[in-house]
Amino acid sequence: MKHAVPGQRLAAHLLLVLFAGGLPAQDTPLEQVLIDGEGWELVGEGYKFTEGPACDPAGRLYFTDVPGDTIYRLDDRGKPGVFVSDAGRPGGMMFGPGGKLYCTQGAKRRIVAYDPEGKLEVIASDVRANDLVVTGKGGVYFTDPRARRVWYVDPQRNKRVVDEGIERPNGIILWPDQGTLVVADTNSSSLWTFRIEKDGGLAHKQAYYTMRLTRDKAPQSGADGMTTDRDGRLYVATHAGLQVFDTQGRISGVISRPQKAFLSNVVFAGKGLQTLYVTSSDKVYRRKTKVRGLLFSPHQAPPAKP
Amino acid sequence: MRYSIAFVVLSLCAARAGAGDEQYALGADSKRREGTPAGKVSRHSHKSEIFPGTERDYWVYVPAQYDGSAAAAVMVFQDGKWYVNEKGQFRATVVFDNLIHAGEMPITIGIFINPGVVPASKKGARARRNRSFEYDTLSDQYVRFLAEEIIPAVGKNYKLTDDPRMRAIAGISSGGICAFTAAWERPDYFHKVVSHVGSFTNIRGGHVYPSIIRKTERKNIRVFLQDGANDLDNLHGSWPLANHQMAAALKFSKYDFGFVFGEGGHNGKHGGSILPDTLRWLWRDWKPVPEKKAGKDDGGER
Repeated sequence: MKHAVPGQRLAAHLLLVLFAGGLPAQDTPLEQVLIDGEGWELVGEGYKFTEGPACDPAGRLYFTDVPGDTIYRLDDRGKPGVFVSDAGRPGGMMFGPGGKLYCTQGAKRRIVAYDPEGKLEVIASDVRANDLVVTGKGGVYFTDPRARRVWYVDPQRNKRVVDEGIERPNGIILWPDQGTLVVADTNSSSLWTFRIEKDGGLAHKQAYYTMRLTRDKAPQSGADGMTTDRDGRLYVATHAGLQVFDTQGRISGVISRPQKAFLSNVVFAGKGLQTLYVTSSDKVYRRKTKVRGLLFSPHQAPPAKP
Repeated sequence: MRYSIAFVVLSLCAARAGAGDEQYALGADSKRREGTPAGKVSRHSHKSEIFPGTERDYWVYVPAQYDGSAAAAVMVFQDGKWYVNEKGQFRATVVFDNLIHAGEMPITIGIFINPGVVPASKKGARARRNRSFEYDTLSDQYVRFLAEEIIPAVGKNYKLTDDPRMRAIAGISSGGICAFTAAWERPDYFHKVVSHVGSFTNIRGGHVYPSIIRKTERKNIRVFLQDGANDLDNLHGSWPLANHQMAAALKFSKYDFGFVFGEGGHNGKHGGSILPDTLRWLWRDWKPVPEKKAGKDDGGER
């Protein structure tokens, strides 16, 4: 058998992958995301249970301590400070239109939004919301794991159930163009995709992504919070680690957890939205990457300083 | 496996003349011949129930020799647009015309089907591409889709076989593992498989087939695999190693299989260049064989 020299071989591979027969790209490894030598860096610790990482239009990170009833945000030096205290068991968060911070309040069974001055507005009441995603038009999809439901609150604040039956719907996110919704099932290996209809309803439910399971927790993936990057990769926090998928739903790999503890959620924030932030039990970590996240409600004024 | 050994030897000899894909060219059987009647190709579209929300096109090739007096054999090609293209790497309809005319394969209706997409309802938003889900997943969902939706739809207009030995399925890359999965899940439906640079790698768990083949009672399927030394080696696995593992497992479990391993890359050049011989091998016993005289051995493929 002949052996080509490495350079020629690589060039041949690239040409073949790019041009040959129009076959779709197969090659989407983790090295497209991770930077050699960069690992997880501790951002904050000493919390009870961290969740809800969210990025404001200026790239600043916010997160919650659920049992601690507090929303934190990082200051200009990257140190966490209190943004809202007595926040009623804040869970999932995301910034929406107008630079408002949408947040689930478990203790008050509602979804609220804080404007840049910290003023509170009720978006939905009498709901058991775990995690949420806010569209660029101000609609909100949220999960109710116990009732196995996905809800939609339209921009006029009318709410309705848009899916039922996922075993434990938890994390929820949009594809970058907001045409597709993804819901994570904590209790199985599936991430479910839906087409978003013109009226905000969901159609064509499919277990498009299959997650890696761990031996001790299978068949539960532990899938929780998710985020997407500008290229359409999807990131999901699970027992196995931070799992990364390509745009055709194929797993690209699993990024190791920063600590041996529950990994609850993930978001891109920081300069250029190039830093992954994850919440894990008592701590928050970050890690620089080669890719960029995105905001579903861009071009909004950032919140004023408290 | 006399055929496969001969081909490996040929491939290695050819490799000395030039590495990679340049050595593979289409032969006379892949070109139109004067006096050989050409079949007709029509284009259709389909919305699926089994893959909810998906839409796709497919082409139906009907050979000139088909007259509806007898049921036609069926061969389904995944990524149909590549196989049906008369200027492409396979030119399957031209090969069909030549081989059917020569009596080297049965009168076969070809179904060339594309993978599904779920178009977005929002203008400008990206469609959900379903190719990997449909092709790389190890389940019976795709073969059910063919057996319950596509083939019955084609069967409304043409008389199609219900004999699994007269049904074949083929594909390239993820379409290759898809073809194998279809027959593996439903050997009572598809008997014949052709895989070109098949993705028996861990895209969605397909790397486990070699071990499953070794530890499962043999199924009545015939499998042809083609791959090359310059095929992909990426995060999902090594295509050359995976295809070797498949061939070794099929050999271990005494399958009726053929394996051609050349020097090509991740494309259809090699597979296309040998498609006529691949189809001859695949359909080699399609005609009822007359009783052989006792003691005489013609040394044919077993």
